[in-house]
Amino acid sequence: MIEAALVLYVAWSSQWKRQAAAAFYLTCLLVAQLTRACVLHAYGFASQRYYYIYWSTDFLLVLSAYLAVCLLFRRAGLREEKNWRLIRLLLVSVFVLVAALSGVSLSLNRNEFFTYFIIAFNQNLYFACLALNTLLYVLLQYIDSTDDELALLVCGVGIQFAGPTATLALLHLTAGERFAQSLTASVMPLCSLGMLLVWAYAITHAKDAATQITRRVAEATADLNV
Amino acid sequence: MIAAAVILIVSTALFFYYLQVACQKILRRQFDREYSQSIANANRLEFPSLRKSLEEFGSPVDYPWLRTMLKCDFLTLTYLLKNAANLNQRYSKEEHLLILYFRWQFVSLAVRRLLKLSEKNAILRLTSVLQYFANVVGQRVNAVRFGSLTATDYLLNL
Repeated sequence: MIEAALVLYVAWSSQWKRQAAAAFYLTCLLVAQLTRACVLHAYGFASQRYYYIYWSTDFLLVLSAYLAVCLLFRRAGLREEKNWRLIRLLLVSVFVLVAALSGVSLSLNRNEFFTYFIIAFNQNLYFACLALNTLLYVLLQYIDSTDDELALLVCGVGIQFAGPTATLALLHLTAGERFAQSLTASVMPLCSLGMLLVWAYAITHAKDAATQITRRVAEATADLNV
Repeated sequence: MIAAAVILIVSTALFFYYLQVACQKILRRQFDREYSQSIANANRLEFPSLRKSLEEFGSPVDYPWLRTMLKCDFLTLTYLLKNAANLNQRYSKEEHLLILYFRWQFVSLAVRRLLKLSEKNAILRLTSVLQYFANVVGQRVNAVRFGSLTATDYLLNL
């Protein structure tokens, strides 16, 4: 619901270009959730089809998340082409490294594409997204960015990735114990909710702040004219 | 095994860090004027005096009294947020997030007390959430403007 409302808000307020990263990821999230809900309704939770659809959509979601982080990097005031070229190289290298590391899992268990490759790939890419997002946050502090909206978007991404990464690591450490499984099941939607709340605030409040600034500038100009 | 443990620790730390940064960014919002003092006066809230004493003197405070006082102010302000000049009668998205943040800081205050760590920053964070809530309530009441009533008069009659 929140995803749909936010996508509609971005479309209604013509912020597609400014909010490209958020709009893209939210649309993917919405499509993935709708697909999962349809398959769940048609085939049930225990069905093989739901299992495949769940992990396939998760795979696509993590890819779109990576792309969203790349778009945030692009927006982060890295106007100089030289800097962007360096960042682009880093982003591509990280992606190739994650794919190669996950490929090792696949080569060890060739017949288990879904259970090994997808899960390992998703887990590694989640962590890579978290690391890159943290790098972006540090970069924003370093360049003394005044874009509060971008900082909030980055915090939202951090909340979305840090929670699932921690619970997946816990799952790995406890060898899939029941406690860790139930924690993972509850933490992931909570983190998504946290990200959506922060993004909703960032997207809606940014417009209010911009309007307020425009109004104050207009008032100041009018005062000067008087 | 070690990598997973490192990932677990780093990710958990980052999760709480990002949550805190997001909440503090929301708390830094600029209001067109300061409403919190009049709201605090009208409702006999004690967080401004506590904040002032902590900022000016950094004086140690009686913990049970402090806990009760923060809880009472929080309950009053969340009630006002929901019911004072709020047509939807529900919290907004950032208010939900800040309520969670307040509860988390409240637990963190208890943990700090238990571990005998400095409580000043946690108390200041709690009071800044309360100040934000008071500002939001004040702004809403001011926007509605009930006849010739001021924000303080309106709240006294609530």
